[in-house]
Amino acid sequence: MSENAAPQQYRHLRLNVLRYDPRNPASKPHMQEYRIEEADSMTLFIALTEIREHQDSTLQFDFVCRAGICGRCAMMVNGRPRLACRTLTRDLPDEITLAPLPFFELIADLSVRTGKWMRGMSERLQTWLHAQEREVDLCRIEERMDPDLAEQIYELDRCIECGCCVAACGTAQMRQDFVGAVGFGKIARFRLDPRDTRTDDDYYDLIGDDTGVFGCMSLLACHDVCPKSLPLQTQIAFLRRKMAAQGLG
Amino acid sequence: MKTVMTDVLVIGGGLAGLRVAIAARKRGHETVVLSLVPAKRSHSVAAQGGMQASLANVTKGIGDSEDVHFEDTVRGSDWGADQVVARMFVNTAPKAVRELAAWGMPWSRVRGGDHEVVINEQRVTLAERAEAHGLIAQRDFGGTKKWRTCYAADGTGHAMLYTTTNQAIRHGIEVHERAEVVALIHDGERCYGAVVRNLVSGELIAYLAKATAIATGGAGRLFRVTTNAVICDGSGHAIALETGVARLGNMEPVQFHPTGIFPAGILVTEGCRGDGGLLRDVNGDRFMPNYEPEKKELASRDVVSRRMEEHIRSGKGVSSRFGTHLWLDITLLGRRHIEHNLREVKEICQYFLGIDPAEKWIPVRPAQHYTMGGIRTDHTGQSPWLKGLFAAGEAACWDLHGFNRLGGNSVAETVVAGMIVGEFIADFCDKPENDAPFPLTLAREFVRREEAKLAAILDGDGHENPFQLCTEMQHIMTRHVGIFRKGDELLDGIAHLQRLLERSAHIGVSGKSRAANPELVAAYRVRRMLKLALIIAQGAYLRTESRGAHFREDFPRRNDREWLKRTLAFWPDEAAGMPSFEYEPLDVMKMELPPGWRGYGAKDYIDHPDTPRRQQEVDATRSRMEGQGRFAVQEALMPFSDQLPASLTGRNERLDEPLETSR
Amino acid sequence: MSYETILIHAGLAEKSRKNRWPARLDLLQSGTGLFLALFMWLHMFFVASILLGKDVFWTVARFFEGYFIFGKAYPGLVSCVVGFVLLALALHALMAVRKFPISYRQWRAIRAHAKMMRHADSTLWIWQVYTGFLMFFLASAHLYQMFFWPQDIDPYLSSDRMWSAGLWPFYLALLLAVELHGGIGLYRLAVKWGWPNASREALKKVKWALTGFFLVLGLLTLAAYIKIGYEHRAADAVGGRYTPAWALEKEGHTHRGDGQ
Repeated sequence: MSENAAPQQYRHLRLNVLRYDPRNPASKPHMQEYRIEEADSMTLFIALTEIREHQDSTLQFDFVCRAGICGRCAMMVNGRPRLACRTLTRDLPDEITLAPLPFFELIADLSVRTGKWMRGMSERLQTWLHAQEREVDLCRIEERMDPDLAEQIYELDRCIECGCCVAACGTAQMRQDFVGAVGFGKIARFRLDPRDTRTDDDYYDLIGDDTGVFGCMSLLACHDVCPKSLPLQTQIAFLRRKMAAQGLG
Repeated sequence: MKTVMTDVLVIGGGLAGLRVAIAARKRGHETVVLSLVPAKRSHSVAAQGGMQASLANVTKGIGDSEDVHFEDTVRGSDWGADQVVARMFVNTAPKAVRELAAWGMPWSRVRGGDHEVVINEQRVTLAERAEAHGLIAQRDFGGTKKWRTCYAADGTGHAMLYTTTNQAIRHGIEVHERAEVVALIHDGERCYGAVVRNLVSGELIAYLAKATAIATGGAGRLFRVTTNAVICDGSGHAIALETGVARLGNMEPVQFHPTGIFPAGILVTEGCRGDGGLLRDVNGDRFMPNYEPEKKELASRDVVSRRMEEHIRSGKGVSSRFGTHLWLDITLLGRRHIEHNLREVKEICQYFLGIDPAEKWIPVRPAQHYTMGGIRTDHTGQSPWLKGLFAAGEAACWDLHGFNRLGGNSVAETVVAGMIVGEFIADFCDKPENDAPFPLTLAREFVRREEAKLAAILDGDGHENPFQLCTEMQHIMTRHVGIFRKGDELLDGIAHLQRLLERSAHIGVSGKSRAANPELVAAYRVRRMLKLALIIAQGAYLRTESRGAHFREDFPRRNDREWLKRTLAFWPDEAAGMPSFEYEPLDVMKMELPPGWRGYGAKDYIDHPDTPRRQQEVDATRSRMEGQGRFAVQEALMPFSDQLPASLTGRNERLDEPLETSR
Repeated sequence: MSYETILIHAGLAEKSRKNRWPARLDLLQSGTGLFLALFMWLHMFFVASILLGKDVFWTVARFFEGYFIFGKAYPGLVSCVVGFVLLALALHALMAVRKFPISYRQWRAIRAHAKMMRHADSTLWIWQVYTGFLMFFLASAHLYQMFFWPQDIDPYLSSDRMWSAGLWPFYLALLLAVELHGGIGLYRLAVKWGWPNASREALKKVKWALTGFFLVLGLLTLAAYIKIGYEHRAADAVGGRYTPAWALEKEGHTHRGDGQ
């Protein structure tokens, strides 16, 4: 199972990176090429770090966990949003084009501000558990929950707010106020949670219009690029049915 | 000078920081959180396996209680922990789990009836009690007598962080992200806030607060191979250190996690072994039972990591192009279990190794994982040397973990410390005598000083490359200050580090931007990291014994007679090339659990002269009070309730311990 | 608490009913789309009856005019159906246009996005915009004609429109637009509402199969009309109606349309 120790010819990769610093008036958007020799198990995290440490210390990008769990490093890799840290270069052609995620505020180069938008989304959709306002006695045994239901909630809770779904969304590119798949995923998660006392009537107030679920044109790129493989297609369809039912009721 | 004023300033937006902020906010104090990254991207998110709390819901947890959790924690710490803090912790952990449940945390739940698990290579059927159906489940973890680790599949940290952040958002707590603290504002006695650099614009801002809490996590990036995120560079430790008065406690014990995937060092959870996974060598043989017949793969992390390295040294490692490793085998758990309970592990193997862990073994080798040491505080989280400076979580040393932390105790510590320290911070802010006027002149002076430092880097004629210095430091730390340590190698490493520290005074950067500039950031961070590295290396050199994760090949025995004391390091003179050290003895006569054998690892240690006497006292008290209930005995041995915030003193209900009867 | 909410709590204002229109309009868009797509399939079968002979088409046309029920043709009935379809089309267009790029900036954004992503479902949507836009004119024109001159649905008259009036390029464009738009639209409806609950790959296969089938059928039908139109012109009989031989025998001199 170990890697074979046979000598191997490494590829020479060409990374074309979109460079632009909006805060610098002299900066114009352009593509810059970096050449780098591939290594075993090289990820884009390793490649970009090497470039910054040895070739161009001004190159800007963001990584945190470098293990595919924090959602910081999403970028457009050959045209598609992906988590750069867990993208192995061996799965890519010799020429790799990197661009920042669209839609979000650009800091510079590959660095974008997803977190700020996500916080706004959380505030707008109130993505916290709405329980009856009573103090829970923490000394007492917790309330029970069906184990299968707990697992289903966890499945939807796995979203890492990386922004890939929003960057891939055609609707969001046209309309900045669109909730996006990440938001629908959150609503679906809290809707499923019996501890949350909100009803469809309440959720309709949050997503029952064209900036919400009725604005979704079902292009489903969100579903196709989600790094956590969340069931966005079925969840959005489900929410659409529930919210449409509100319109009939 | 731009100034932000608030009641409580929390540095760090991970679990500990957010929980502190929520506590303070709920008590009515204006709270601002500073974070390098958006809160939900903090490294807390990477905790996979779970959080220890003695709920005793599952069959294998029956009989668990605060007492057992306490003993496991103290043994795990190799008696380095502050036992009162450990008591406060174990009593609060169940409350923290239940609070998170009430906040919407998707804890995995007990399914009543029979289910099959793998224990010691055997498929075993466990019967879960019908009355426990739907309660929060626990799994097995290293160094614990009972199944105590509560979890949400293997994304526990993620789920906890999202739950907690959402609560922070609900309470309207502002998180100023991409903000880096470069210095604490203080007058040598009282901390007044921090100088903060906006990482986008480069602007320096003075944040002034009644109470400042550091919750910046660990310093894993001092080492080359670490499971830690790239932001875990010990910056919180360093800014406290640079006050010249605050002390760092026990920085030399550094935890290496047994199962970092090889060679990237990405963590695969202890839950893999907790759920029945095995470690295998080059021949495919399971080797841990030969070293640790009792706990096997599930001895504490320091022990398992050492045994693994020992086994590799004996020539049983698997050679690959990148070096030597061992195997983690979870294939025996079955695909269903892996796809439901170890999903993140499966993804990591798929994306970083290109293998399916349900079919193939995972290459692993110990990797730096946890910083036991931290900013030394009392049990309230406050630094005894700098009033108004608090710390919580991995960045702190209120001393829960001593010389080795148990798996599942760190995420637990984040929220528990957040609850406790948060209350104490609120108390601190409530007191009129702490209403010191904000010293704007002092703040201006600190901002000016930091501006000058940045200007020196940007405009100076230095030539050293900060990235290179950092890489060199990481190699030295991994080579000389790793799992096995030796006096001469440590000395060698220290000399190297000192040279690097000198060189760091001559760093030059090619990009001259004062705004977002990754090279500039690396430049000012590496100097701080070097200081911490020196503290760890020198502390390790001075401590001529082996305890917990600190292992000296030239002094392999634990030596309670000489070394039952806490290392305190500080850096009083900025110009000095070395830190100063002092030691804080632990009082055996006040311990509820006097030092002894841990139950795993070496049996050979040198006793403290007080140990037999205290052991006698403890035994006498126990026999005298037999039949009076465990709470009364505990109270007699080592009272702690009065140290807890009043809201957290209550007893914890369990299925087998209803509140009415235990009162 | 907003001022409005305060007033509501204090009893000085009533809780306004929630705006249910977004939900209704969304249902209307999907509903009219579904109706139009299904209608187009049926419609295709009716016009394709020409492939089975002029008599069959004549019979189908007369059937919809109520000829076999009332014994007399009422083309006004067709106008009614056409009117209803026109209404559905207008509503559908009105609903759908809300989703269209409404500024050049939006248009550029979605185009650049689809080009960069090379994501099939996103690209299909752009085609839907193109074809939808095209049909807005073509289908309206066609329906306008059918509404006012329903009596002109006739094997010869229809064929003359194709050939002698030179409208076959118009119908060819309409055919392509309708079949692409309808096929994609139905597929989109399925994934949008989650029914039928099949994989997108499977749904797409069915979608392309149906589109292919109706396109082939449509092209054959168009060819048949062109052929008839060409022959009709060659016979110098343009403008003349078709009457089946058996009808001529039965009705004698009576000619359809005399009643008009």
